[in-house]
Amino acid sequence: MNITQLPYIKDVYGFLGSDVMSGLVGLLIIAALVPLNVAFLVLVERKVAGHIQLRPGPMEVGPHGILQTLIDAVKLLGKEMVTPSSTDKLLYWLSPIIVVAPAFVGFIPLPFSPLVQIKDVNVGFLLIFSFSSIGVISILMGGWASNNKYSLIGAVRSVAQNVAYEIPLLLATMPIILMTNTFKLGEIAQAQAQSGLWFIFYQPIAAIIFFIATTAETNRAPFDLVEGESELVSGFHTEYTGMRFSLFFLAEYTNMVIAAALFTTFFLGGWHGPVLPGAVWFFAKTYFLLFVVMWIRWTYPRIRFDQLMNFAWKILIPIALVNLFITAIVLKVL
Amino acid sequence: MNTNPYGFNQYIKDILVGGKSLVVGLWITFKRLCTRIVTVQYPRQKLTMTANFRGHIEAIRFDDTKSHHCVACGLCARTCPSHVIKVQGEKARAGDKKVGTRYYIDFSKCSLCGLCVDVCPEQTITFSKEYELVYYSRWDTVIDIMGRLEGSR
Amino acid sequence: MLNIKTIDDATISQRVYQLNLGPQHPSTHGVMHLLLTLDGEVVVKIEPIIGYSHRGHEKMAENRIYEQFLPNPARMDYLSGMIFNHGYCMAVEKLCGIEVPRRAEYIRVITSELNRIASHFIGTMDYAMGLGAITPFLWGWDDRENILDLLEMISGSRLTYSYGRFGGVRNDITKEFYDGTRKFIDRLRSRFWDYENLINQNVIFIKRSRDVGVITTEDALAFGVTGPTLRGSGVKYDVRKNEPYSAYPEFKFEIPTRKEGDCLARYQVRMAELEQSINIIEQALDHLPPGPVRAKVPRFVTPPEGDCYVTFESARGAAGFYIVSDGTRVPYRIKVRAPSFSNLFVLTKICPGHFLADIVAIFGSIDVTVPEIDR
Repeated sequence: MNITQLPYIKDVYGFLGSDVMSGLVGLLIIAALVPLNVAFLVLVERKVAGHIQLRPGPMEVGPHGILQTLIDAVKLLGKEMVTPSSTDKLLYWLSPIIVVAPAFVGFIPLPFSPLVQIKDVNVGFLLIFSFSSIGVISILMGGWASNNKYSLIGAVRSVAQNVAYEIPLLLATMPIILMTNTFKLGEIAQAQAQSGLWFIFYQPIAAIIFFIATTAETNRAPFDLVEGESELVSGFHTEYTGMRFSLFFLAEYTNMVIAAALFTTFFLGGWHGPVLPGAVWFFAKTYFLLFVVMWIRWTYPRIRFDQLMNFAWKILIPIALVNLFITAIVLKVL
Repeated sequence: MNTNPYGFNQYIKDILVGGKSLVVGLWITFKRLCTRIVTVQYPRQKLTMTANFRGHIEAIRFDDTKSHHCVACGLCARTCPSHVIKVQGEKARAGDKKVGTRYYIDFSKCSLCGLCVDVCPEQTITFSKEYELVYYSRWDTVIDIMGRLEGSR
Repeated sequence: MLNIKTIDDATISQRVYQLNLGPQHPSTHGVMHLLLTLDGEVVVKIEPIIGYSHRGHEKMAENRIYEQFLPNPARMDYLSGMIFNHGYCMAVEKLCGIEVPRRAEYIRVITSELNRIASHFIGTMDYAMGLGAITPFLWGWDDRENILDLLEMISGSRLTYSYGRFGGVRNDITKEFYDGTRKFIDRLRSRFWDYENLINQNVIFIKRSRDVGVITTEDALAFGVTGPTLRGSGVKYDVRKNEPYSAYPEFKFEIPTRKEGDCLARYQVRMAELEQSINIIEQALDHLPPGPVRAKVPRFVTPPEGDCYVTFESARGAAGFYIVSDGTRVPYRIKVRAPSFSNLFVLTKICPGHFLADIVAIFGSIDVTVPEIDR
């Protein structure tokens, strides 16, 4: 008999495979991954923005500005958290907390590699999707509680935008779920690894619609009129200072990472890749997508609000529906 | 009133033309991403100024007097729009030309317009190339440029 | 939705709210206060409040001699500093009857056109930034940097030039400037494709600018609008052609106009004017006559009694200087016609009915310089 069946070792070390352990390890992964991701991404965004605009971005702190986000975090920690006197205190205090909490949940079903996955929840994609919808209400709370007309306009716009773009998002993932017959993200990545051909070749239109819809869900340009710096000074987070402001930032970048990771899992094969270990491929694809999102931000102007709704209802939803029908028919026939 | 109905063909064409313009835009931005930066990292790299640059005023040292040629005529003080120049002169003997002894300019108010340099009949002041004018107190900005000329001998 | 045409005060107070696109805002170009009355996101009434940058230039003119006022015109509209400076010199020369040598006129035209290109870069790219595209703004500043380097070679300063003097210009142009301008023209021509395809053909940009902020020809003429704002509404009026001054009659160039009158038309007019300015500079450099650059004038001029009005084309429209002299070295009154002042108030007519996001776009496309409004 082998070593794991010895009675002493089974009792003491048996708990290493249990759910509690995997929960603890998952918590550690999230606690480590989220701040590092955000720190890295903020810096990459500023450097990419700089080089597109023919300037170098942050250069002072650390060689070529690597430690910039660290110093920014220290600075934001040191700032006074001013609460304006005529705000709704409870909502004002609650809003940054609620915007950040669902973002952490989204990391749970993501398949980083065949072995590393915190828990392959059986409604994987729906879990991420429903928790990210909670973020919407926190934006509305933040905008309303600030007692500021600019924030209110920004918050109202964001609710309409988020609700409108959830439909094309779902409709774009339905074909994938039809093809693989499961909601579990680990199995979707497995299906692509087995068939050898990534789903983006089977469903290019759904991939484009998914990409546009997640850019709109996370309030990134060209859909960032929620925090449009030209019109509303800073949108719903005008009145937030110090650590509260950085919580909004944290939530936005974490949502971006989750969206990019979802796109990787659904369309780009997850951890599938030739030579390197699975986790490396997963992160490489995710960061490449994030680079594309930033590249788009610095190229296009902002879309006006009514044109945004037109775009969602009149262009994205019909195309996504037609795509879904064609996929269903083809899958039934073949 | 638009009499042409917005047909299906027009819808598809709009999407395709719009999509193409977006992709071209991305290509242009990507090209610029790969070019060199054009900014200069100021405190660590400095640019040289052109010959005509208008830094703050300084007095020229001439060879025959080993000093300036100012005769304290006061034209520059009268021309200055911001009234920042004060000149004092003295005559060594009666019948001689006046010689300027003190020349104060308040650089916190000087707008570097160049009228004083233009109007001087002796052409004894000119622009320097210094642009880093920082002082620790307001009284440091009033500078005697004759004294500076003597001091830099 | 409220019917804009039949609104009355009782309805206003119950349903709409007021928003200050305040003096401090990331996208008003200067200290401009727009008081908006909004119903949801639709603007019902707009009222510009000016006076935040009033520095008293016209009052300063009453206490200074003519030469001492020379730095001031460049500070009124700092983006067309050269053009205003030359305009002031033209006004005093007309009053005193001073003749300007031909070489000086050509140099004045070259520097004015360079300044116009620099100002149009800010005007167009600021409009793009108001829409959300931040990148072309920085590319425009890079091109503008070359112009500022060229102008620094001859005048010594990058924004507040004080280069013109009564009777000509301050000093001659150098060979460095001549070669640099030629190189700059070639480099600029190769950049046009980039700007055209990134901004002008972009579907998002077109959708946000087409049919937004339409100024009809009657409205434009009624409000006294001039410059690219007027030419975007179909009226072919340019002071350089209609009331020629300086050396402009000797150059061949066209006046670009568009009929639609919306933001896209004004943007296209400005970009087309860049091309025409380059043509003028090339012709001037090719045929630059030799000679002195400054006529012989007394050190402190004393114009005879009388008044005169001189108009010229700045980057924003038709500007003018009206000088009243009482025979002494100090002018009795100098009045400046600032084109942005007339261009701004057309907003009150065209903005109602648009969304909040459009207000920023319209304001950027009119291209005002706020200190010029307040002087």
